[in-house]
Amino acid sequence: MANNVFEVSVFFIVFRETLEASVIISVLLAFLKQGIGRSADDPTIYKRLVKHVWIGSAIGFFFCLVIGGAFIGTWYSLGRDIWGSSEDIYEGVFSLIATIIITIMGLAMLRLNKLKEKWRVKIAEALEERNHYGKGWFARFSRKYAMAILPFITVLREGVEAIVFVGGVALSSPAKAFPLPVICGLVAGSLVGYLMYKGGDFVKIQYFLIGATCFLYLVGAGLFSKAVWYLEFYQWVKVVGEGAAESGNGAGSYDIRKSVWHVNCCDPETSGGWMIFNALFGWQNSATYGSVISYNLYWIAIMVAVVLLLYKEKHGYYPLLKSWTEKHDAKKIAKRRAKMQARQAAETAEGSMEEIKTSV
Amino acid sequence: MRFAPFIAGAFTAASAVLAKTVQYDWTLSWVNANPDELYDRSVVGVNGAWPLPAIQGKVGDRVIVNITNNLGQPTSIHFHGLYQNGTNEMDGPVMVTQCPVPDGSNFIYNFTLDQVGSYWYHSHWKAQYVNGLRGPLLIYDDDEPFKDEYDEDIYLTMSDWYHDEANWLVKNEFLTLKNPTGAEPIPDAGLLNDTQNLQWVVKPDTTYKIRIINIGGFVSQYIWFEGHDFEIVEVDGIYVENQKASMLYVTVAQRYTILLKTKSSTSENFPFMVSFDLNMLDNLPDTLNYNTTGWITYDTEGDFPDAAIIDEFDFYDDFYLVPVDKEETWEADTTVTATVVMDNLGDGANYAFFNNITYVAPKVPTLLSVLSAPENDSVNAYIYGSNTNAHVFEYGEVVEIVINNGDTGTHPFHLHGHAFQVIERSNASDSDDDFIVYDASNPGIRNEYPMRRDTLYLRPNGYFVIRFKADNPGVWFFHCHIEWHLEQGLAMVLVEAPLQIRERITIPDDHWEACKVGGYSYEGNAAANTQNYFDLTGEKVQPNALPAGFTARGIVALVFSCVSAFLGMGFLTWYGLSELKTTQHEVAQIMGEIPLDDESGESK
Repeated sequence: MANNVFEVSVFFIVFRETLEASVIISVLLAFLKQGIGRSADDPTIYKRLVKHVWIGSAIGFFFCLVIGGAFIGTWYSLGRDIWGSSEDIYEGVFSLIATIIITIMGLAMLRLNKLKEKWRVKIAEALEERNHYGKGWFARFSRKYAMAILPFITVLREGVEAIVFVGGVALSSPAKAFPLPVICGLVAGSLVGYLMYKGGDFVKIQYFLIGATCFLYLVGAGLFSKAVWYLEFYQWVKVVGEGAAESGNGAGSYDIRKSVWHVNCCDPETSGGWMIFNALFGWQNSATYGSVISYNLYWIAIMVAVVLLLYKEKHGYYPLLKSWTEKHDAKKIAKRRAKMQARQAAETAEGSMEEIKTSV
Repeated sequence: MRFAPFIAGAFTAASAVLAKTVQYDWTLSWVNANPDELYDRSVVGVNGAWPLPAIQGKVGDRVIVNITNNLGQPTSIHFHGLYQNGTNEMDGPVMVTQCPVPDGSNFIYNFTLDQVGSYWYHSHWKAQYVNGLRGPLLIYDDDEPFKDEYDEDIYLTMSDWYHDEANWLVKNEFLTLKNPTGAEPIPDAGLLNDTQNLQWVVKPDTTYKIRIINIGGFVSQYIWFEGHDFEIVEVDGIYVENQKASMLYVTVAQRYTILLKTKSSTSENFPFMVSFDLNMLDNLPDTLNYNTTGWITYDTEGDFPDAAIIDEFDFYDDFYLVPVDKEETWEADTTVTATVVMDNLGDGANYAFFNNITYVAPKVPTLLSVLSAPENDSVNAYIYGSNTNAHVFEYGEVVEIVINNGDTGTHPFHLHGHAFQVIERSNASDSDDDFIVYDASNPGIRNEYPMRRDTLYLRPNGYFVIRFKADNPGVWFFHCHIEWHLEQGLAMVLVEAPLQIRERITIPDDHWEACKVGGYSYEGNAAANTQNYFDLTGEKVQPNALPAGFTARGIVALVFSCVSAFLGMGFLTWYGLSELKTTQHEVAQIMGEIPLDDESGESK
């Protein structure tokens, strides 16, 4: 991960977290527009609630910047040179962490479109819940500013998630590799979230998300391959000594016993174009059995995971785990439905939506 | 502090005029030694003792060395610098003139001393001599041109010293893929007369003839005597016109004989130094003491001062020595041109090449191939192997060898069977990327009477040109005398006058026995083929080259990976397009818009 200016994995993580946050906010806004706004037919209240959403988001974002900045600043001022000769091991381990994070995250990206649906439920649930916190100061406050607190918490949570993931993924990069991908991720994520709010063509958005996910997994596969490559390179340096291993691309810079291909050009450590190739696809000019096999195994694992998930979607359970999955899911769904019905019953009794309206 | 006896044996001018036969009965076995007082190690001892004794004789004497090998490994002995005219089979290099002497066997070397000067003997099986199997060989000549100019005749050996067993180093540290740059093992110490802190007790106003011999395996050393200059009178067995000098650069295997006159006063002792040429070492460990000091001891009770640090090495360039016999420059009849290259082969190890061939020993010692081949085939270099750098010369030809150095190292090359004329030797080039290549139409500096010797160093990125007359029928090895480089294959085999070899050379029974007992073929071409000498199938060859670029394996791997990636992305697309429906179903259930599915997953 010797990317010096634009760390691709950072971009993707920030993009994804921003996207999720902006989807939630857009759902919230759509909720307001359709639900409260329409029924109350009161533009002032609507506008105020919308402002709450934005203020909540902004405060959450600000907190994220502070925490993120502090985290990264502390790490870099403590100095990155603590690893010296074990640098390759750290590179390998960080690549591995990055790929795990990306792999798990990536699947979620495909579901962002249906996130809208899920969040419709979650927000409704969240709003119902607030009504039962009692009459204390905090309860009144949170009811009054529910529309601000929810986005605040959401943005804060997504933001801290992003910071933690970014930290796990990119701590081996120089500090100047952060600003650009972070900003790009924020911009891209917000843009897509806005498009989704506008309710744009579902199909087009889904294609976009698919494309983005494919790209993400290319990066993930590359990272996995790189992780294995770095760990093997570390072993080679131990055998042959730092000098010989770093000596350009000639004989001695790689272990002939483990080599699948080796070309003396196209080294991602030295040439800019190939560095990008390396960041996106895990390209190495000197590939080992480990790095090639791990790349292929990653994709095979993804394909298996997709097959399993599709199976579940179609039949409702994972293969071989039929009784466990069904019971699990059916229970969950029944529980949430029961909760929802209870809330709705209480709401009708207490007229809680009126309460929200009157308290602002 | 140690006194080491290095005064040569008791030969005086009054010795018998008639040539005699000197016999050495040596049993070779492992003994322990600790010459640098840093590490006790196993070394090759002769008759249970180390350092090894000197072989001495007068011009014309016959020497018989009868060895019994109890080392648990093969061995052989080469008498460095002796021409072995008519006795090529006694020269010693394994798989060139003989099979190795098997463990437990007896072997006799029998030859006459037909030349003058200072020489040495050493093992010529793998890197064995670095384990201590080496010693001086001194020849006395009643007709020395300078015989009246000195009072005492002594020898002084210098060497590098390793704590580890040499062949173990080659196998595990040096000639492996773990050492892709071919970094030679760094010595652990330097020795003078196989010891340190040598006190050379001298008489005042006395001229000593000192035979300086570098019996090391790797490093060239500078030698100088504080407060004393000297005259060079002989190099590698060739008498030269007295040449005054104050410092010499002695590569391994070279000999310089000097006359040094001691001072009149006995008040002080003077240090004399040998110092490693550090340019030859790839790295310099802190623990290495690369200067070895001795003392010209006038007063054994006096002080022994440390040697002074000097700023630069101002040594005499042996190129300018003038042989006493002033032999005229030969005109070349045939030229062999070779470039020294160090590179890696497919096993990852670093090898040494002449052009693109690294020497790989044949299955049959080349001399035995010469003798067993049909007469017409024996003059064809092809039968001696495609990986042996073999060349065939006719009797009486003047052979010119041009070596261009494609490497930034200094290489001391040695020719068996001859002392050659040094026609030219270039300087080192100014930068590692430039090479000075010999151009016959644009010659460099030449002497009117060329210097002659048998071991000459090649400067980094430079060249040298040597000539000799092919009047000594035999198979002669030409190789770098750095043992590590010899193991890397920096050698060529010169088959000189094969027809005359077949007439004059006979192999004694114990030499044939050595082949049989050791399981080696003793007839046939380099592939041990006795039916068709031009069929080299099965000969030993160098490892394959490193694959350059993509091999079949690489292309398959790359294509397969791309296919995996595309397939994977296809699956993801499939997933992305198909799973929205289920979530909508779930959410609708939660919101109460549709009835719950029952436990079996069926909608009600």
